[in-house]
Amino acid sequence: MTRSLTRRRFVLALGGLSGAALLAACGQSEPTPTAAPASGSTAASPTVALASGTGTTSPTAPAVVQNTGSKVKVLYWGSYSGTLGEAEQALVQRFNESQNEVELEYQYQGSYEETAQKLTQALAAGTTPDVVLLSDVWWFKFYLNDILLPLNDLFAANGIDTSDYVDPLIEEGTRQGTVYWVPFARSTPLFYYNKQIWQEAGLPDRGPATWDEFVEWSGQLVKREGGNTTRYAFGHPSAASYIAWLFQPVCWQWGGRYSDPDFTIRIQEEPAVEAGRFYLASVRDGMAVPSQDLVADFVNGAVAAMMASTGSLGGILRSASFPVGTAFLPEGPAGFGCCTGGAGLAILKNKPQEVQEAAFRWIAFATSPESTMWWSQNTGYMPVRKSAIASAEMQRYFEENPNFKTAVDQLPKTRPQDAARVWIPNGDQIIGKGLERVTVQQEDPATVFADVAQTLEREARPVVEQLKRREG
Amino acid sequence: MERSLKVLEQQRTVATPVRSDEQAAASRLRRILGERLLFVLFVAPNLLLLAVFTYWPLVVNVYLSFQQWDLISPVKVFVGLENYRFLLGDRDFHEVLRNTVVYTAGTVGGTLVLGLLFALLLDQRLRGIALARSVVFAPYVLSGAAVGIFWVNMLNPRFGVVGQVASWLGTVSPDWLNHPRLAMVAVILVSIWKTVGFATIVYLAGLQRIPQELYEAAMVDGAGALARFRAVTLPQLGPTTLFLVVVSTIASFQAFDLIKVLTNGGPVNATTTLLFYIWEQGFVAFNAGRAAAASVFLFVILAIISLLQVRIGERRVSYD
Repeated sequence: MTRSLTRRRFVLALGGLSGAALLAACGQSEPTPTAAPASGSTAASPTVALASGTGTTSPTAPAVVQNTGSKVKVLYWGSYSGTLGEAEQALVQRFNESQNEVELEYQYQGSYEETAQKLTQALAAGTTPDVVLLSDVWWFKFYLNDILLPLNDLFAANGIDTSDYVDPLIEEGTRQGTVYWVPFARSTPLFYYNKQIWQEAGLPDRGPATWDEFVEWSGQLVKREGGNTTRYAFGHPSAASYIAWLFQPVCWQWGGRYSDPDFTIRIQEEPAVEAGRFYLASVRDGMAVPSQDLVADFVNGAVAAMMASTGSLGGILRSASFPVGTAFLPEGPAGFGCCTGGAGLAILKNKPQEVQEAAFRWIAFATSPESTMWWSQNTGYMPVRKSAIASAEMQRYFEENPNFKTAVDQLPKTRPQDAARVWIPNGDQIIGKGLERVTVQQEDPATVFADVAQTLEREARPVVEQLKRREG
Repeated sequence: MERSLKVLEQQRTVATPVRSDEQAAASRLRRILGERLLFVLFVAPNLLLLAVFTYWPLVVNVYLSFQQWDLISPVKVFVGLENYRFLLGDRDFHEVLRNTVVYTAGTVGGTLVLGLLFALLLDQRLRGIALARSVVFAPYVLSGAAVGIFWVNMLNPRFGVVGQVASWLGTVSPDWLNHPRLAMVAVILVSIWKTVGFATIVYLAGLQRIPQELYEAAMVDGAGALARFRAVTLPQLGPTTLFLVVVSTIASFQAFDLIKVLTNGGPVNATTTLLFYIWEQGFVAFNAGRAAAASVFLFVILAIISLLQVRIGERRVSYD
């Protein structure tokens, strides 16, 4: 009796445990995709994130329950999890409380990649959202297939001057004078360093000016115990964590590039290969380690410095137990180089005009100077409006939080990404896997990049044809 | 004899006095038609489901394998056998096939050998054996994603249990899941850990079905423990083994969740198996044609393996 009970209980308990573990694990990276609550309950439940909003003029929630009958319902697909997801949901809630005409339903879809996958499937099934968050490497695919709504008329109708958007950011989503993709959560790579380790190593409290300087410093940053390295100076992320995005500026700093805008592939050329050799040497010489979870390694002190998105700043500051420093990317032999990144918002074609107009109200709200400031302060993504950056409030915030200012200072020096990464389907992962061959398998960059170039050229062909059909 | 026949004849004519031959034929036809109709009625729902969700996709898949298509564009470009030609000549695809063979052989082999070993151990009458059986079986009921997350944390060289153990041994753990060769070893070991319980239970049932008198006869013939195992246990477990090989092989060809969570197919393509590659080509690279062609390869490979297993089953495995 007791025996059979033990067995059953044991299996049941394990089942329960695994469920709990899964939930907990999901909770780490994925906030429960609670849709924006129906307006009946919104008035009563302001979110925590809202309450802790840092001093921006937050519109107070209406105390009276609104009549939902006349509202236009808009479905929004987003991709943020963890602290970013909380901020995104809070922003949606702010939007819903700020007006009575539109009710935005927020649905979390997973990573940028998963969101694009689901959108593709939704297109086949005819169940698309009205407005969607698309990353730098995905929006172009949907533009090519003529699925995104041209937004110039809606900008004009809403009296929004697109020239107030930061130029390199809005230009990335503009084709032949028409805006399709509005910058929202835009980022650049930043150099993050662990100030505590820096201090112990007796280094000046700043990022290295050049990679050469960093290599010199790395001797003091790497920690070895009995022939084993317990702390590395630097870490390389995996392909899935966008190593191709982070290596891109390094490639530029060596005078190379992935490709020209017309899809001529350049990654196999000498400057890019030389930058690859720098990555190879960093691993071979024991200065850097390839990591599957680089941010966790940094936050736990296993690597002293890393390159990562500005969008990770908020989360890193919250989870690191040591003071975190941010700096411009170090310079290479050919000088400075830095790219933009992140995601923007787009509206789907083939929706009722009323819904499209309502969806644009969300875009206008989410990228308004007030919202972009709030979003930026809560996440680390850059303000996308010039007026927001120049505002007294943002300037004051930068003074108090210099880490947040680094990205904005670096922004004017950035340039748009190479076509091979953002416009060739899966280009990011093709390059990323090539870089894993260098950092993980320690293969010769010359051979690897030649392979990568061949693949990129092959995969670019259909895009070039599609682009001809689309733009003439 | 003759009389009895006559009587029978009489009885028949009495029983069906007005029925002609035509009528009898018609009723037989009706009965047959009725049976057929009933058969169709019973089978149709299932057949319809199979047709809609299995056979039709299969046909569409073959059609897609001749196209170049990004899953969105209204235009599909007919490319003939290009997708197949590409896959046959692609180094990555060769690696994927190799990985699939290694993963399947490693997982199926490991699961069966360990499963038999555990079954032999658990076949003893010892205290706490029920609990031990549950412990061995437990991982099998867990979801692949949960197991994956659990092992990602265990195998983390810096914060995981393996890192801790390595540091007690005065060394540093390799980064199992981010190592060109060890990643596959780790994925196989975790897969075995997850599925060995199933093989154990099935083997246990098989062991307990072996008639005791066979062992007694073998003992009378002077066979030692090892000889008894080789001459009695193994052959008697033949059908069980065949069943396990078939089921585990198909399961490892379909492995996805564990690989997605553990390594995402990496580093580079080190743990990308055929199914994972199909998903990657289809839903990450949006190359429907190439994914479809790779699916046809998977279909053919599985069909051949199933056929081989059935053949071997007929010849080699004794069900006596």
